[in-house]
Amino acid sequence: MEALTLLHWTFDILLGLGLLWLGWRVLTSPDLFNAIVLFVAFGLLMALAWVRLDAPDIALAEAAIGAGLTGALLLAAFAKLRTVEKNHDIAGQLEKGKLENRSFQWWPATFLLVVAAGLGHTVLSLPHYATGLSAEVSANLKSSGVSNPVTAVLLNFRGYDTLLEMVVLLLALLGVWSISGSALPREAAPGPILDTLSRLLTPVLILVAAYLLWVGAHAPGGAFQAGAVLGAAGVLLLLSGWRLSSHLAGLPLRIILVAGPVAFVAMAVFTMLTGGQFLEYPRAEAGTLILFLETAATLSIGTTLAALFLGERPKNKREYP
Amino acid sequence: MQILYLALALFLLVNLGAGMWRVLRGPTAADRMLAGQLFGTTAVAVLLLLAQTTGNVALRDVALVFALLAAVTAVAFVRRAWTEERTNNES
Repeated sequence: MEALTLLHWTFDILLGLGLLWLGWRVLTSPDLFNAIVLFVAFGLLMALAWVRLDAPDIALAEAAIGAGLTGALLLAAFAKLRTVEKNHDIAGQLEKGKLENRSFQWWPATFLLVVAAGLGHTVLSLPHYATGLSAEVSANLKSSGVSNPVTAVLLNFRGYDTLLEMVVLLLALLGVWSISGSALPREAAPGPILDTLSRLLTPVLILVAAYLLWVGAHAPGGAFQAGAVLGAAGVLLLLSGWRLSSHLAGLPLRIILVAGPVAFVAMAVFTMLTGGQFLEYPRAEAGTLILFLETAATLSIGTTLAALFLGERPKNKREYP
Repeated sequence: MQILYLALALFLLVNLGAGMWRVLRGPTAADRMLAGQLFGTTAVAVLLLLAQTTGNVALRDVALVFALLAAVTAVAFVRRAWTEERTNNES
């Protein structure tokens, strides 16, 4: 037993030190590409840390989003940055001091100070000791319709959190769509290896997404993790040169993008009209309703993530080869 | 048996440190990226070992997601960052 404790301690200490060191290297790395690889490694260690903290739900989310999709997103952003820099020679202008982006700016500084003061005040006014709500969650778990406490909290007890998170993702996509300018240079056709890989891996990714969605009712999993895996399938297809056909890129794409939030809001309005509270599901059907909401959310999240990866707004006209 | 699994997990974690050396040294982007991919594989093994020691089967799902998404990151690198670099060197 002694040896086991020692091993546990060594593992945790090494993991913690590795995380701190990696975080420092990511922030101080002068080379952007290096920082991206280190960030992916940071995501891996972070997921291991969540596992050690006995939070497999967060580890799953970190694995899907932190180490998986973020790496692909950052690499795509890196490639785009380089083409932009090559075209406009931003680096050269920065060196000559033509772009004065290093000068001290009062408004952002004041704004940040106000935010920091507000946050500090909130933290200081918190009660010193809080029992937490986990006892209450486990007491009410039966009425939630699912047996995984994390899903119960995210989709039932605090459903509006999930709703707002999906709105945040949509807002991010709107932001990307409104500022995306330069398209990527034309890609080479995928070789036989990538072709085979995407054909083999995409169905597996979709299957795993469905599995995570289903298993979320009673074990770690759920809409966000499933959505991230579905988004990864979309990213893989986009990387293999696949594009949404033009008659689907208009309204049908937008309908899927908003399906999750719209399903949530419709459910909320419906429950309020039938005499309940905002997002208070009828107890008997809670499990079914949660599965329905999660399916809509998974589709929306996956599509949003893939669209974020593409970066530019899919054109309605036939502009893709 | 638990001790063996945990010792192996610890050994793999130390291995990550060796891989980190390659990430920092390079010299090319592909070297760094492949070392990063090696981390993914190692993390899958660590997760499977931890799933066995703790008896928490959900960790196998985490390992599954890791294994699947590492491939996507590798493809993103080859299709976006790497081809860029090659054309840069040629021009």
